[in-house]
Amino acid sequence: MKLEFLAPQTLQDAVTMAKARGGAARFIAGGTDLIIQARKSGAWPEAVINLQQIPGFGEIKGTGPNFSLGSLVTHRQIEREIRFAGALEALRESACVIGGHQVRNVATVGGNLCNASPAADMVPILLCLNAEVALAGSEGRRVVPLANFIEGPRKTVRASDEVMTEIAFAAPAQKFSSTFLKGGRRRAMEISIVAMAGVVSASPDGKMTDVRLAMGAAGPKAIRLTEAEKFLEGKVLSKDVLEETGMLAAAAASPIDDVRASASFRRHLAGVYARRVVELSWNRISELNDDRSAA
Amino acid sequence: MSELKQHDVSLTVNGKAETISVAPRASLADALRDTLGLTGTHIGCEHGVCGACTVLLDGKPVRSCLLFAVQAEGAVITTIEGIGDAQSPHPLQRAFNECHGLHCGFCTPGMIVTLSAFLKEHPQPTSDDVREAISGNLCMCTGYQNIVRSALRAAELIEGAKS
Repeated sequence: MKLEFLAPQTLQDAVTMAKARGGAARFIAGGTDLIIQARKSGAWPEAVINLQQIPGFGEIKGTGPNFSLGSLVTHRQIEREIRFAGALEALRESACVIGGHQVRNVATVGGNLCNASPAADMVPILLCLNAEVALAGSEGRRVVPLANFIEGPRKTVRASDEVMTEIAFAAPAQKFSSTFLKGGRRRAMEISIVAMAGVVSASPDGKMTDVRLAMGAAGPKAIRLTEAEKFLEGKVLSKDVLEETGMLAAAAASPIDDVRASASFRRHLAGVYARRVVELSWNRISELNDDRSAA
Repeated sequence: MSELKQHDVSLTVNGKAETISVAPRASLADALRDTLGLTGTHIGCEHGVCGACTVLLDGKPVRSCLLFAVQAEGAVITTIEGIGDAQSPHPLQRAFNECHGLHCGFCTPGMIVTLSAFLKEHPQPTSDDVREAISGNLCMCTGYQNIVRSALRAAELIEGAKS
């Protein structure tokens, strides 16, 4: 079987090469998903177009509130990014549970999003941050909200000649913090049973505001928990509020049964993790501010 | 069947500049073993789970079964053969020997390569740190107790050599 390996040096060349081959070529970055999928299914693409030699897409930019991740930024870079320590901790928490060290050292955030696994761990927190992805293709450049980019399992709106170039997001304006939790049978090297990310802000009068929750691995694609978010607006943390949050999260889940967990267990976990994420995020807001006043 | 187009890849392996000719679909693990004869890099699962094929790419541990050899153009690769040998073993290799950190030895190259990068960043690790560091490496016989002990012992040996 023939496999053509192409290594363009510019974005334009990469797009032109993909365009010329119709849908028969696949872009490759870290390769940690593509190679496993091709080997397992035997369905090798006719060509792979390596994006790693194209300069300019491997950096994390911004000093807040606006940030952008180049699509070739690795999970290792995100988990070690000092700008995300503190309020944006959930980005580091998401990145540091993907694969093992050896995978995170090469696997890219662009690859994680384009691969569009329902259990992709970077997706929930990026949904919470209203991330937008930039795509460059033969028809030009466009920016798509991440929520619209992923359509379903392994399915995105990306055309076969479009390269994801960056992922942009803005931190919330008020005092906030974030949390990511992942349910699996062991702590490392695990595909999520349920993944939950949250961003919670505090209003000046000490109430929860601008609450954002997103859940992965509990349906065909990761989703924002809009019902729970609406419910939490303006609330003060209490046992009853958390209870209701958990019920709303479980109701929003549409999980499947598979080898990793039953649908009913996933739904149960969705509720548990929604409660924990909200509680932890809320507590982290005051911890972050205490740290600052202590320093 | 059409002719396979071979690619020339230039890379540095264990300090030595090499140019190898590989098929586009060859993994880095296959190229290291079959083309360069460096069979210390083991191929276990071939789908990114076991960690036996770990090598350092530009100083960072990666799974060589999940990289095309052609992706390593220009890279600096270190395999277990470049970590140390019988004449001048790396402190990790001494420690694995001393503390019975291996039994069948299949996972050992991956463990040692992974830990070599880890100990550079964490010269005084706790056993929990070590467990986290080898979370992407599986051992199916010795078990992890002696592997963790070996890593801690290696940290001591490295520290001792400094003073």
